[in-house]
Amino acid sequence: MNEPTIRTQNLTKHFGRTVALTGVDLTVSAGAIYALVGANGAGKTTLIKLLMNILRPTAGSSAVLGIDSHRLTGSAFQSIGYVSENQELPEGMTVGGLLNYFRPFYPTWDRELEAQLVQQFDLPLQRKLKNLSRGMKMKASFASSLAYRPALILLDEPFSGLDPLVRDELIEGLIERAPETTIFLSSHDLAEIESFSSHVGYLEQGRLLFSEEMSVLSDRFREVTVTLANPAPLPANLPPTWLLAQSADCVLRFVHNHFDEQATPSEIHALVPTARDISFDPMSLRAIFLAIAKTHRDSANENSAQEKVA
Amino acid sequence: MIPFRITFRAGLSLFEQIVYAATRAMVSGQLRPGDPFPSVRALSKELKINPNTAHKIVAHLVSEGLLETRPGIGTVVAVLPDSSRKDRTQLLEHEIEELVVEAKRLGIDQTEILAAISAHWQRLGGDEPTSANHFANRPHDGGSKQ
Repeated sequence: MNEPTIRTQNLTKHFGRTVALTGVDLTVSAGAIYALVGANGAGKTTLIKLLMNILRPTAGSSAVLGIDSHRLTGSAFQSIGYVSENQELPEGMTVGGLLNYFRPFYPTWDRELEAQLVQQFDLPLQRKLKNLSRGMKMKASFASSLAYRPALILLDEPFSGLDPLVRDELIEGLIERAPETTIFLSSHDLAEIESFSSHVGYLEQGRLLFSEEMSVLSDRFREVTVTLANPAPLPANLPPTWLLAQSADCVLRFVHNHFDEQATPSEIHALVPTARDISFDPMSLRAIFLAIAKTHRDSANENSAQEKVA
Repeated sequence: MIPFRITFRAGLSLFEQIVYAATRAMVSGQLRPGDPFPSVRALSKELKINPNTAHKIVAHLVSEGLLETRPGIGTVVAVLPDSSRKDRTQLLEHEIEELVVEAKRLGIDQTEILAAISAHWQRLGGDEPTSANHFANRPHDGGSKQ
């Protein structure tokens, strides 16, 4: 039971000369609601398609529910629910027809849950998919992917372009399934996932910059403001845990990425003996993401500058 | 339905915001001892928050003595414990400091700020004795229903 639901090792995908994903090591444990966040083009869809055996990796490997992705076949898909914003539905079918069509493929299909989802999402069974709004189509997709109680639900940008009302309905549907399943979803918008996710990963230009439990992340990051007894420049050789350090006159400010209530104040006093006052402020998830992304970009720029010099 | 009002503010921890909203409803008498408190499931579903967060919120309120679990019934609002009143005052130290700093910055004097505090105190449930059963003895201040 300790087998992670999703595991990737050095997962890499190139499209010609374009590097879509590079060296992604990711672990998602059973029961998590894992949100993969990143800008458009960061590689989220590629990652999900690799997991689902829709694409082949250039290097590395991935496993889903203990099965290597490249060996995922028919029967394994009976325990995976997959919804993508770009999914093509048989537009000529009615919603009821779609459910009738999918039902026999899944031995665990639950008619009662299906009925509950139809009611909860207010799905018009008689109407054709092509005549439905984007939100309604998404709800039909959700219903047909949740009704067989999959052990893993993979969602690629499930909320993008939906109005807040529909989004709320879908989130509610997911939260209801959460106790019995693992949910992995991608999103380009932090705000839409931060309330209900348990874990979050951040993908930038094909690299996974971090992957962590949400509460751990907010516990270890602090914005630190140090007031000095007299104006002083930034101390040399700052520890790598001090991100984005800046100073002006008597104030030194940085982001600490391994904050510890006991150890951090003494660490600061040791490095900045003239510190008169230190304050630690908790950061919003958005601020944490920005700090990580900026640090990453700064170090990437530095490296390329060094390469030019060399 | 969730028996207290909450409007989420961006950038603040959901846990703290919900704990605060629930505590506020309890100290203001909106929720009274014995009133049912939403289950973890209901809290998670209604507020669209992770079930683990909902669980932590309920566990925290129980450990603070604000809620109690009754077998067969569920979680209900507890009678506020009188002990550790001092501890609780200490919890507010930071907020009080902030308030004083803001007041000084805006040039509000001590009398004015104390008057503003007592106005809020009244609004949230009037003058309270310092006795243990803070809530239990409270007459129902149902307000004036028109």
